[in-house]
Amino acid sequence: MKLDTSGLESTAPLFRASSELLDGFSTAPSFDLPTTTDFDGFVKEAIQMVKPAKGTTTLAFIFKEGVMVAADSRASMGGYISSQSVKKIIEINPYMLGTMAGGAADCQFWHRNLGIKCRLHELANKRRISVTGASKLLANILYSYRGMGLSVGTMIAGWDETGPGLYYVDSEGGRLKGTRFSVGSGSPYAYGVLDNGYRYDMSVEEAAELARRAIYHATFRDGASGGVASVYHVGPDGWKKLSGDDVGELHYKYYPVVPNTVEQEMVEVSGA
Amino acid sequence: MSIFEYNGSALVAMVGKECFAIASDRRLGVQLQTIATDFQRIFKIHDRLFIGLSGLATDAQTLYQRLVFRHKLYQLREERDMKPETFASLVSALLYEKRFGPYFCQPVIAGLSDENKPFICTMDSIGAKELAKDFVVAGTASESLYGACEAMFKENMEPEELFETVSQALLSSVDRDCLSGWGGHVYVVTPTEVRERILKGRMD
Amino acid sequence: MGDSQYSFSLTTFSPSGKLVQIEHALTAVGSGQTSLGIKAANGVVIATEKKLPSILVDEASVQKIQLLTPNIGVVYSGMGPDFRVLVRKSRKQAEQYHRLYKEPIPVTQLVRETAAVMQEFTQSGGVRPFGVSLLVAGFDDKGPQLYQVDPSGSYFSWKASAMGKNVSNAKAFLEKRYTDDMELDDAVHTAILTLKEGFEGQISGKNIEIGIIGSDKKFRVLAPEEIDDYLREVE
Repeated sequence: MKLDTSGLESTAPLFRASSELLDGFSTAPSFDLPTTTDFDGFVKEAIQMVKPAKGTTTLAFIFKEGVMVAADSRASMGGYISSQSVKKIIEINPYMLGTMAGGAADCQFWHRNLGIKCRLHELANKRRISVTGASKLLANILYSYRGMGLSVGTMIAGWDETGPGLYYVDSEGGRLKGTRFSVGSGSPYAYGVLDNGYRYDMSVEEAAELARRAIYHATFRDGASGGVASVYHVGPDGWKKLSGDDVGELHYKYYPVVPNTVEQEMVEVSGA
Repeated sequence: MSIFEYNGSALVAMVGKECFAIASDRRLGVQLQTIATDFQRIFKIHDRLFIGLSGLATDAQTLYQRLVFRHKLYQLREERDMKPETFASLVSALLYEKRFGPYFCQPVIAGLSDENKPFICTMDSIGAKELAKDFVVAGTASESLYGACEAMFKENMEPEELFETVSQALLSSVDRDCLSGWGGHVYVVTPTEVRERILKGRMD
Repeated sequence: MGDSQYSFSLTTFSPSGKLVQIEHALTAVGSGQTSLGIKAANGVVIATEKKLPSILVDEASVQKIQLLTPNIGVVYSGMGPDFRVLVRKSRKQAEQYHRLYKEPIPVTQLVRETAAVMQEFTQSGGVRPFGVSLLVAGFDDKGPQLYQVDPSGSYFSWKASAMGKNVSNAKAFLEKRYTDDMELDDAVHTAILTLKEGFEGQISGKNIEIGIIGSDKKFRVLAPEEIDDYLREVE
């Protein structure tokens, strides 16, 4: 007599059958894994090969009028400056910003991915996602890839039903709620200025200037930060870009050169 | 990371008509951290002979002190200044003395001979001389400098144009290098005078 | 011993302030064969007698005038073996200078270094002073130059000088014949005539040596045939 083995079968399929509607959205994107016996070693090598752009200065802080977010715009590969005009503040939706530090590709991809998820949440629930929720979505995804070489150091800043929100999220799985963050190689310098000048009851102008100054000083001291100091403000009506100043000019605005017998301005090359 | 890139540097020397220019950036860093923006990498040996030392700052200063010492002894002994070629040989010999524990410096030497013929040369950290007719570069921004100089160099430039060319080459090159920049320092040497100028640059 | 109770040590001064060993070295030079040098407007000539102990010695095997560098030559009066030591040390010095600076050593530098060696041998333990005086002829960026270096290590630049057996006669002769605008050929003639003055026997290309350097900055020792040509011109 044939044994009835149906009870040994799984009641639910091992992998969820792909539904066209949900495919690619509700689940985290899945990636091919390398066919190797030494996964850790492979990942280690791979990280070295696609060595992410590390040099950055980004910062964000909550104050009376909302959240101030600022960043530099330099991308470097080792000592080489590959771009001076990188957009490191990513606009997730009109009420939420993400900052970019670490691997450019990783940051861009997962922020875009987060944007999709936030929009889907909005459609499903008829209300915008909270900053807390959004940051947790990102943190959960990053945690699921932990140890596989992702390099993301980001701040999620926004305005939701509870007011201003600010979270720090990184690819090691960390997620911190706070009022003042700076991320990247220039962050120690930015923190110095920020901590020294921060007051909760600043005006938008004061806060923007503090953010700009912090970025400027970081670009001055940090070889891997530079380019343009961009400043965004997130208020009850969403984010707004306040300024984008070339730090090359900012320096001489903050510290004008006193005319000196030795120093002199450069003039155009004749006939160039 | 290479010890040559520890402090960051950019050096260039260019030949003109009966003149030469030698220029450097002004940054002293510890890896990515900028420590000073008034660092000196170009040194005067005598009125028409200069040496720039790229690479590790401490070695540059030590090497400079030894070179000044040797040149002063030479001046006393021979009652004359060293010719640029002679000085280059001395630097080369001094560097090779430390073949198995080198100074982490790449020198750039520029001078004007008694006949007002400009001389420029560079060498590696153990003294392999490389003479050039047009320009020589060294430091962490050397690749960018090669490109800029290759594009901007013209033969027989007068001192003023030479200054502009060297300055623009230097400033545009260090803008592509994290470890150098923060202003520039240019010397233009003609048979009759030495013009020294500080360049304003991007401070990031 | 016997000469002086201070001659036991070359580094001990006598009460009259002399180092007697150096005096003895100068005596050795004074009894050596005559050498002389003349600085002309466009070059330098040095010359010496080459008297050999026996006619059986192959005179072609003896070279009293030596090159130190391509543009510097030297001749001596006094002890031949001591001279060879100095030549070897001087050549080494010249090569070291060249290795360091990739530039020929200036005459003054080489003379000074050689003189320093000779001085050192008047003050070091276990050695004796060199029994030679040198005449160094060279041509460099500073033009033609003639130096005399003595066993004490002292050296002077000369327009014309002589040393060895016939010093006083030769110097008197040179003082009479020397002029500032003398050309190299005239200087060679004068050199031959000066040697001839105190020469015992028949002078020929085989028993004197002549070295010249002109504005081509190439020092060379004349072949006996060339000397014979000059001798004919002089007669």
